Amino acid sequence: MIDLIAALLMAVAAVTSIVFTYLAVVEKNLIQAVVFSAVQSTMYALIYFLLMAPDIVLVYLPVGVGIYPAIILLLIKKTDKVDE
Amino acid sequence: MSESIIPYLLTVVFVSFVINLVIALYGIFARPTLVKKIIALTIFSDSLNSLAIFVGYRVVSGRVPAPPVVVNYTNPQGPAQLAKVAVDPLPQALVLTAIVIGLAVTLFMVKVTMQVYRVYGTTSVRKLERIEHGNRGEEDEGVVE
Repeated sequence: MIDLIAALLMAVAAVTSIVFTYLAVVEKNLIQAVVFSAVQSTMYALIYFLLMAPDIVLVYLPVGVGIYPAIILLLIKKTDKVDE
Repeated sequence: MSESIIPYLLTVVFVSFVINLVIALYGIFARPTLVKKIIALTIFSDSLNSLAIFVGYRVVSGRVPAPPVVVNYTNPQGPAQLAKVAVDPLPQALVLTAIVIGLAVTLFMVKVTMQVYRVYGTTSVRKLERIEHGNRGEEDEGVVE
């Protein structure tokens, strides 16, 4: 039963990550696109946890949710704000 | 019943990764702004890493598989017992390295994009192409004169 719940959570997180990937790619406002990308990274971290990779979660959560959005927000602050 | 549903759900996860790959490739090739290309490239590399981890996953009937961490050091049969229920640790070790290398590559691309904006005043590749064509045209005229 517990393995069924794990697989179900994995499938839900994967389908949610498709939605947020699409939003991050088509969004014109770059700051909102970065936020959607961070949410998608959170979904991936959940999937890594359910795929029994705890060491990947420990590395990927600070990198994917913390450092990537931070440096890309710095980049957006110094350059254009809007995709054309 | 759960034995028949779990492979279906895992197939959904696999197909989701592939769809994410395709959407990220569209973002890399079709969106004009370099910042959007960087965002799409990070999504692309994360999806590839997820596929690598997914290959190392296995289904153990009746329970979730164990993480590949040896806990029972004193028992000489501990690693053998772990190997029966644990997932494959090799893709996880490779992906751990790939995530860190991807971070370094992304930082490099962020720096290059900042320099492009300082020199040309835009990060859109369409405008950059126009600027580049304009400069080349002036140089050609100079050569003719």
